[in-house]
Amino acid sequence: MKMRCFHQIVILLLLLAFRQGESADEVAQVAFFETKIRPVLIENCYECHSVEAEKSKAGLLLDTREGIRAGGDNGPAVVPGDVDESLLYIAITHADSDLEMPPKKDRLPGSVIEDFRQWIEGGAVDPRDGPKGKLTDAPIDYESGRAFWAFRQPEWPTVPTSAQNDGWSRGDIDRFVLNQLEDAGLKPSPNAEPSVLLRRIHFALVGLPPLPEARRRFLDCVKDTSLTAAIESEVDVLLASDQYGERWGRHWLDVARFAESSGKESNFTFPEAWRYRDYVIDAFTEDMPFDQFIAEQLAGDLLPSENDSERARLQIATGFLAVGARSLNEMNRAQFYADTVDEQINVTTQAFMASTVACARCHDHKFDPFLMKDYYAMAGIFGSSSTHIGTVIGPDNVIGGELIHLPKKLGLPVFNAPLTSAKVAELKGQRVATLEKQKTDQALAAKAFKEGKDPSEFFSLQMAIGNIWKVGGIDGKLAKVDQSGQPHVMCMGVTEGTAMVDQPIYDRGDISQPKEDAIPRGFPEVVVMDEAFKVDPESSGRLELAQWLAHPDHPLTARVLANRVWRHLFGVGLVRTMDNFGYNGERPSHPELLDYLALRLVEEHQWSVKSLIREIVLSRAYRQSSDFREESFLKDPENRLLWRMSKRRLEAEAIRDAMLMASGELDLSRPEGSMIARLGDRNAALLAFAKSVPSDLDGTTTRSVYLPVVRDRLPDVLELFDFAETSLVTGHRETTNVPMQSLYFMNSEFVESRAEALAKQLDGLEISAAISTVFERCLSRAPDDIELGMAMRFFESAADSEGPLSVDEKRRRYSQVIFSTAEFRNLD
Amino acid sequence: MNEPWMPSRRAALKSMSSGFGYLAFAGLAADAAAKQSGLAGKSGHFPARAKRVIFLCMKGGPSHLDTFDYKPELVRRSGESWRGGPARLLGPVSEFSQHGQSGQWISSLFPKLAKNHADDLCVINSMHTDLPNHPQAFAQLHTGSFQFVRPSLGAWSLYGLGTSNENLPGFITLSPPADFGGSNNYGSAFLPAIYQGAKIGGGQLPAIFTALSGKTEEPGPPMKYIDNPRVSREVQRAQIDLISGLNRHKLKLDRHNPEIEGAIESFELAYRMQDEIPEVLDLASEPESVRKLYGVGEGGPNERFAKQCLLARRLSENGVRFVEITAPTNWDHHNLLKKNLGDSCAMTDGPISALLTDLKRRGMLKDTLVICAGEFGRTPYAQGMGDGRDHNNKGYSIWMAGGGVKGGYAHGSTDDFGYSAVDQAVHIHDLHATILHLLGLDHERLAYNYAGRDFRLTDVYGNVVREVVA
Repeated sequence: MKMRCFHQIVILLLLLAFRQGESADEVAQVAFFETKIRPVLIENCYECHSVEAEKSKAGLLLDTREGIRAGGDNGPAVVPGDVDESLLYIAITHADSDLEMPPKKDRLPGSVIEDFRQWIEGGAVDPRDGPKGKLTDAPIDYESGRAFWAFRQPEWPTVPTSAQNDGWSRGDIDRFVLNQLEDAGLKPSPNAEPSVLLRRIHFALVGLPPLPEARRRFLDCVKDTSLTAAIESEVDVLLASDQYGERWGRHWLDVARFAESSGKESNFTFPEAWRYRDYVIDAFTEDMPFDQFIAEQLAGDLLPSENDSERARLQIATGFLAVGARSLNEMNRAQFYADTVDEQINVTTQAFMASTVACARCHDHKFDPFLMKDYYAMAGIFGSSSTHIGTVIGPDNVIGGELIHLPKKLGLPVFNAPLTSAKVAELKGQRVATLEKQKTDQALAAKAFKEGKDPSEFFSLQMAIGNIWKVGGIDGKLAKVDQSGQPHVMCMGVTEGTAMVDQPIYDRGDISQPKEDAIPRGFPEVVVMDEAFKVDPESSGRLELAQWLAHPDHPLTARVLANRVWRHLFGVGLVRTMDNFGYNGERPSHPELLDYLALRLVEEHQWSVKSLIREIVLSRAYRQSSDFREESFLKDPENRLLWRMSKRRLEAEAIRDAMLMASGELDLSRPEGSMIARLGDRNAALLAFAKSVPSDLDGTTTRSVYLPVVRDRLPDVLELFDFAETSLVTGHRETTNVPMQSLYFMNSEFVESRAEALAKQLDGLEISAAISTVFERCLSRAPDDIELGMAMRFFESAADSEGPLSVDEKRRRYSQVIFSTAEFRNLD
Repeated sequence: MNEPWMPSRRAALKSMSSGFGYLAFAGLAADAAAKQSGLAGKSGHFPARAKRVIFLCMKGGPSHLDTFDYKPELVRRSGESWRGGPARLLGPVSEFSQHGQSGQWISSLFPKLAKNHADDLCVINSMHTDLPNHPQAFAQLHTGSFQFVRPSLGAWSLYGLGTSNENLPGFITLSPPADFGGSNNYGSAFLPAIYQGAKIGGGQLPAIFTALSGKTEEPGPPMKYIDNPRVSREVQRAQIDLISGLNRHKLKLDRHNPEIEGAIESFELAYRMQDEIPEVLDLASEPESVRKLYGVGEGGPNERFAKQCLLARRLSENGVRFVEITAPTNWDHHNLLKKNLGDSCAMTDGPISALLTDLKRRGMLKDTLVICAGEFGRTPYAQGMGDGRDHNNKGYSIWMAGGGVKGGYAHGSTDDFGYSAVDQAVHIHDLHATILHLLGLDHERLAYNYAGRDFRLTDVYGNVVREVVA
């Protein structure tokens, strides 16, 4: 009886463990295959009947679904639903003495044979992927490419009329959504509770939870006016705040693969990268039209400016092209430049066009209409530009390079300390002296060697290394100040190169194998627009590239941006493969809605991201409750048709900021620069030795967007809660649920400190009031009776071997508990 | 010396005191969580020869010419010009002889390994890799790619096979290098984060920094957040009970919410990991005879690696799918080869031999694949002051043992001087394909779709080296 009960629990848990897109039935059948069938096949059959077997006996392969269905010389091994026709079943039952399997062994146990019977009769569900089908329909030439949805210009769709006066829709967005729901026999969900909605809107727009006062205000407003009016005024306040730019700027920084170090094999800090980060945040706060944002990031240095301050801002914007991961130990300069260009093509085409043009470096794209000549047309553009990374040459870094100087008089923050002119002279002297001493030492060592003595007394590897470090360090210091020792103000970024050069196609991408003709600088030819774009022979072509991308007729740019905005509001994109709209990407769930949003963005909102956000947030679709409805769930388990709001986990930054907000500690000011700016040039592998660096790389109470972002060396909270992969364009962060996250809530000093600060806010409150206050500050709601009861019991009983905990300690531990609940880090 | 990755023995306080059905629930929940998270044990594509891997990583590029690749011609012509240029050939700095029934050639630098395990080793003498630079070659050894950030070998293995003990991470790396790509070498890149390696112990510092400062490892605890000295276990248990209570209440209201289910399970797992990880890391519970076998407790330069090897066995034994140890010595012997290579070999010989012996005694060697490899080998000609060797990616040696490989076998060969692989050459992609094969995984089918493209450990390359499979 007991066993049976356990089995039911197992099945229940398995059923709950839905993978997206599978029905419960499928999950159960796959589980059956994995536990009962596949292990038996591996154990008893694969030796002779698998791809890995030296030769497959009787032409039969049992290690793929196709193989088992097709069968071998004697016919299909398995016919779903029919054991009598399934030779595999006949063989294992020993029903036919000429066909007894496995050979020369006892018959398989009866229970196993029974499993096979059940499996075959149940349809022989088999999740094993066989060889891929042919991909002949991929649009790999321009003509078929232009017919592919993503490369066709968006057209104003007809707003569904059947849903015109439906009583639910507030606007056209809702009409598109409702239309597809109705087609599928689904109904939208009712509005979420106002306080649930408020929490959703706050996290979506500013990445912070609403505090109890804000919640009261909002609920009063709902009561006094209407839900719509209350939402409208809340949304306007939030969109106008600096916190909006911090939240949405960070979304773009994911796409821009922003980081403050070079990453890869030898990882050196980028002390000036933060300027680009702040630029992005400001651009979103000010709601810079996105077409301008594109132009500034790709070609800010080529845009007109009214004054030095604007000049500096525009130059910093080009950091977009500079802050990618770089191999600083690449000995071959030409290879380094080619790889930099490749990375720039990749980030530009993925970020703005969700296209993988960089795949065409070595061969024409296998799935999308990008040819090698498209790639090398773009390579000429970036190759005619100069990228300023500005790291310090030293061991493992042979690249170095200068940064771009900005005018000193602007008063921008500078972190490289000034030197006295005497110090400058001293450093120069040291540099000369070090190199001269090295010469002398080497001569002495060579002499000793000739005389058969130990040369290392005069010159050793250690000394050589020491000298490289010393000279590299001195050069680094001198590069940061002028002759008089005043610090230069510098930024990373891109400027025009010394020569404007078209590039040839390189055979298989090998820079030593150029083909004859240079490809004129230009843009992927699959995109056809009314206006022709030509690169000015006197310039790199970055400005023309930006204009080409931002042209209202460009089929991808607005769609890709609208999809990014949608994704951050609904949790998934209309096209789920955010950074790949190509053949291998997914098709949009609502193609007409996507076109509608793209066209609204350009024509109505004039590329204003805030306006598009506002339009979407005010829709009825966005207001829906996230409650589970079984009937709808069975029809559309992934919620592709938006019959409810999808539930989702908060991002790492929002989790950390919410703790600081709840504890009353959040410092909303923007810190100057970043930890990395203050540390200066470092090998990231040695960061742990910097005394000023806390072991979790945090130690601040400002917003998470200002935490240091060193490749391979993220602050713990970002690392643990699925921060963007800093070397790749990331339009969608995956979320994981792993024990290390729980250990962080249980054992990190950061969480405990926040809990302590939150507990301090409870001074003088009765237990039940304290319990409620923490709920309200953390979860934006009051506890229900059951929750209150559970928490009361904790306060009554919490004790260790030395007796009951003090009241303060109980409040701290309770606050930590609420931070640790799933609800704290999830949105309804 | 106080070893940073060796925690003091904790007083284990276990209070599993939370009501009806809790234990049963927790056990089942853990299974379900693992299934949901993709970590549940899975069968591979075909029968596995090896169930787990211990990867002994020899950072710096150990010389094959002085250890496993015996070249009489190089002995004879030591001191002569290399290909008519100024460089001089340098004969092995050690004596070679044949060992075991197989007559495996091993130099005098690995006396214990030669004496005890010559017939267990499957040496590949014809390895080659794409580049002779440490960081790139190191990245390629670990991820197959020197150009892009890609999932590591351990992550792919875990992705393919899941774990057999959900209370421990499925992929653990002990004190990996902090440089040469750092966490990329045990990262999951675009694979889900559950497949990434858990780092235990501070990262090993760049050799140059160690040479100048004498420091070898980053400071810090062996594993972050694995314990909390500020709270008792009773109180923590009460906290977790309240967290679970609130989570279950919310789940009941939500009816279906995988994120909350996952959170409930993840806290129980975390609570158990707090006990299990320190227990596994605690070598004091090993019998004296075993500690002695490895050389743990003898102090001296071998102590650290001895502990790592013993720890590797303990982790493997407890179900960790993939364990990597980076020997705490730098094999980059550009000068003073005889002394420095001698030191590195002396430090690793005993512990590695002990590890193989110990695995064998426990019956684990047959399904544990032990891999010993550096990122490349070294040149037959001398460098610098004439007493070192330069990097060589064209030909070098690695060895494997256990886990379905042919013992007492030497595969492929380099030319007469050991410069480049000429016979049955094995590229690093081939080695990866072979390792996956031994684990029951088809390197062509172990793919992950990311951003619309299927990625593999071996990219579009790799052939299984069938000759090394027993």
